Amino acid sequence: MLLCDFHIHTKYSDGSVDLRRTVDRFGQAGFDAIAITDHVVNGDNSIGKLAHRFRLSVTRDNFNEYAENIKHEAERAWDKYRMLVMPGVEISKNYLSSDKSAHILIIDIKDFIPACLNYEQIFLGAKQQGALIIACHPHHMSDMSRETLFLWNNRDKYAKYIDAWEIANRDDVFNVISLKKYPYIANSDFHRARHLYSWKTLLNCEKDIESIKQCIKHNKGVAITLFRN
Amino acid sequence: MEIFYVFAGLTILGLTGYGLQIWSVRAAFRERDSDSGCEDVNFPPVSILKPMKGLDDNLFDNLDSFCRQDYPEYEIVFSLQDYNDPAYKVARKLKEKYPEKDISLIVERCDAGLNPKVNNLIPAYKAAKYELILISDSNVMVEMNYLKEIVRKMKDPNVGLVSNLIGGVGGQTLGSIFENLHLNSFVIGSVCFLDRFLKMPCVVGKSMLMRKHDLEAIGGLKAVKDILAEDYIIGKKMQKRGRKVILSNHLINNVNEYWGLKKFINRHTRWGKLRWKIGGIKYFSELVGNAVFMSCIPILLWEPSKITISFAAFVSFMKILGDYYLGRIIGTWRTETRRSGENESSIRQFSHSPVHCLLSPVKDLIIGLIWFVPLLSDTVVWRGNRYIIGKDSVLSTCPEGGVLSWRYRLIDVVRARFARVA
Repeated sequence: MLLCDFHIHTKYSDGSVDLRRTVDRFGQAGFDAIAITDHVVNGDNSIGKLAHRFRLSVTRDNFNEYAENIKHEAERAWDKYRMLVMPGVEISKNYLSSDKSAHILIIDIKDFIPACLNYEQIFLGAKQQGALIIACHPHHMSDMSRETLFLWNNRDKYAKYIDAWEIANRDDVFNVISLKKYPYIANSDFHRARHLYSWKTLLNCEKDIESIKQCIKHNKGVAITLFRN
Repeated sequence: MEIFYVFAGLTILGLTGYGLQIWSVRAAFRERDSDSGCEDVNFPPVSILKPMKGLDDNLFDNLDSFCRQDYPEYEIVFSLQDYNDPAYKVARKLKEKYPEKDISLIVERCDAGLNPKVNNLIPAYKAAKYELILISDSNVMVEMNYLKEIVRKMKDPNVGLVSNLIGGVGGQTLGSIFENLHLNSFVIGSVCFLDRFLKMPCVVGKSMLMRKHDLEAIGGLKAVKDILAEDYIIGKKMQKRGRKVILSNHLINNVNEYWGLKKFINRHTRWGKLRWKIGGIKYFSELVGNAVFMSCIPILLWEPSKITISFAAFVSFMKILGDYYLGRIIGTWRTETRRSGENESSIRQFSHSPVHCLLSPVKDLIIGLIWFVPLLSDTVVWRGNRYIIGKDSVLSTCPEGGVLSWRYRLIDVVRARFARVA
């Protein structure tokens, strides 16, 4: 089984550990596949503008540098740890109301996708790139300030675009995902070094990016585990 | 005012001791030049025993550095108690990375005694093929010539045990910066001081090279299965049997990157209790040796005055300078070892930030406060179980019933409350 985490932030957005150290943190712990998913925040409201001002978001301007550095780290991680590092972003549509907010992981992204597009445009843009679409922390959480409920509240409309839902995020478990029988994965939402110890995904597939994407999409051979020291 | 002069005298005594520690560290590293480099030594095969539990910082690189030793013949035995241990996957990856190396992975539950590290070592020891065994913790990273350097010390047949100097590297958080500062000043200084001036073996279990027959002669691992400081006691028993216990001046790196403050405090509380139970009255010398803490006592207990504050500031400054100098000695040694080149190390470089030394007085104040805990409590919580520490750090389980058990339960409740608040 491959030990995986597909929701990881670095100093490119609001993470506290830089990219290289983050990759080392997971490599040193024996992980098989990870995705770096820094925030791409919508800049069309005051919350988003603040995020852009404080450089807590990947932007169109630095996306190429971001993707290039992930590529470089992916090569290093493969040589050293035999660990796959996939490029990704977390499209973050933040509003004052959690009912309106949504966060979406786009994994194996190739080109920049702005967060101010509407949902259909974001999903179709990701599909065109062959990327995976994951709905992040879709239900009520222990930390209410991080709640993003829009996708869950509008699941009838958007579920067809979503490849998998986070059934667990860091310390929270969302049992509604299992009740609805949606495809699932579990991630750490890594921002700090201690977040390594959290929910993770185990995949029973070959260690290459296409097999991993197919395994998640078909949701066969997927398990979740609470990674503790 | 007389009280101030008493504490000032004790502080100067502590500073003098610290100066001697620095001198002994410097001397230890200088000796290396005359000692190493001779290749006319037979290098017998070695079994490296690696007891593992959980993910240490830098675990992959730590273990990897042992797989890359420039040494003719050796085996590595990774030993775990549980397949669910996250370290299992890391050990598996390394075994796959080096198919040509003699690496075995043993997962076996052993409940022979109360010391979990010894329980972990017993199956690995049984599997060890060679007469020379090296017990090495999973949180150390070594240079490629490490094994040659320590086996060289074994050419004297009277040597029973070789241990190493330890330096802390890699601090990214406050807890790990404190830990590394403590390893690079108090621990390395004390070990060198005891070795040089008092001829006392101070074996630290992060690296212990010995022969199987010597270990068997002192009762084997089972003789220390219920002892918290199994490393120190093994060294003491070896010496008692007339075997030399040698301190190799080949520095090994203890990588501490992401420790929380709580982990730092917990470890040094446990180590303090251990030293109190082993050293007895000698434990008080540690308080006197903590010059920063001693210089601050008059400020804490009496009204702060210009003279007391100036004195404490001066002592803190001296301590910062001392720690900086020790850091430089260690750093220079590391650089020279790599530059000497015969075994160019590929292990990750860790920078030593001199700015961290500014935190050294704060660390010493915390250590000073921790010093008192062993006088009030004789129990340790280790991996979820509470034990009572007796003389020479012999462990016994806490009573389940009776008056004493209430005392321990009360301590547990108070600790849990504090943990929740924190």
